[in-house]
Amino acid sequence: MITARVGLRIVQQRASNLRRAVVAEVEDMNRLIYHVLRAGVVVSVAILLFGFVLVAFTGHPIPQQSIPPRALGRPLFTFTPEGYLSLGVLILIFTPVVRVFLSLVSFARERDRQYLLMTAIVFANLLVSLFLLA
Amino acid sequence: MSIAVLLILAIAAFLAGLGGSYLGVGGGVFLIPFMTLALSVNIKVAIATSLIGVIATSSGAASVYVRDHLTNLRLAMFLEVATTLGAIAGALVGLGTPDFYLYLVFGVVVLYAATTMVRVRETAKERAYRGGGEESPLTKRLRLSSVYFDREDQGVYRYRVERPVAGFGVSAAAGLFSGLLGVGGGFIKVPAMNVLMRVPMKAAVATSNFMIGVTAAASAFIYYSQGLVDPGLAAMVIIGVFSGTNLGTRLLEHAKSSNVRFAFALFLVVLGTAMVARLFLPGVPI
Repeated sequence: MITARVGLRIVQQRASNLRRAVVAEVEDMNRLIYHVLRAGVVVSVAILLFGFVLVAFTGHPIPQQSIPPRALGRPLFTFTPEGYLSLGVLILIFTPVVRVFLSLVSFARERDRQYLLMTAIVFANLLVSLFLLA
Repeated sequence: MSIAVLLILAIAAFLAGLGGSYLGVGGGVFLIPFMTLALSVNIKVAIATSLIGVIATSSGAASVYVRDHLTNLRLAMFLEVATTLGAIAGALVGLGTPDFYLYLVFGVVVLYAATTMVRVRETAKERAYRGGGEESPLTKRLRLSSVYFDREDQGVYRYRVERPVAGFGVSAAAGLFSGLLGVGGGFIKVPAMNVLMRVPMKAAVATSNFMIGVTAAASAFIYYSQGLVDPGLAAMVIIGVFSGTNLGTRLLEHAKSSNVRFAFALFLVVLGTAMVARLFLPGVPI
């Protein structure tokens, strides 16, 4: 037979485990956002530096005109600086979009309807701006 | 653009990243006058380039603040609904605005930003939880109130977010200015969060920094699609800003800021005056 004290201890134990799990989940999300934002900038900087290396070695001038995402394939394959400089800039602009998408997934998993809706609106706004004048 | 000019721009971007992450104000607010006045870059290209710099500031600095739990992620998500809508509208208005008016509005906005930087330092007592009264229903419903850990005095501060609706409105305006002028809008959002919504200063700076990336992305796409992003300039700005934020985030968490703040404010007054003055100087092409 379980005494009251043992019962209480089990309940307390469960509550504390639950609390730890919630904290861990928040912690995971923060870490994930940290890594995504960080990785976005670092990758972008690395590609831009590679673009400048190409400028130095190929003797191409530093480009003044960016390349639309659709037309990026060729300049990347032919290793021209404008391709890599444009790609680096685009990766940086897309980093916050990825972050919002991750928040969307996270709120969906938590079944947090209010925040899911808000995040969806922000994500939709980003898509609108992406395709508005393109 | 010669290599020398680009290197100067990278140094300016480093300072902008430092200021932007440390003070919560001053990515684009510094970069645009610098590019237009010192490097004679077209103002719309400068705005587009600055937006890229704002995203770099946000991703570089915000990531660290999120990791260190300074950022209020719920509050950010709530206000981003307003800032992204404002940013799209701002970018569309900005594309159709003659350069003369962009200079004028920018000059005025920079002068205003300077005044927001000269503020009295926040004491621990002001950071402390303000009891009494009921939490606003919307704050309660959205669970906006939060806590943050202040490394400077090793204190944990619980705070209650007040006036969420007013904050939402101000954020829409901040987004509009961001899209229109290529700034992050921290000089609007940080005081709004701090004074209006009563979020402690460091949490306000961190949360604003987190929001400006998404806000700037919403208008950056529009400027990019119009061919206004100069990849050479943008690349230098990203590299410079990235280095600057790495230093700035360390400063925010540990150091005191009043002197730096005052120096930046003075600098802003000079830049704002120069932007407006340029309009009325004879023989200067805009």
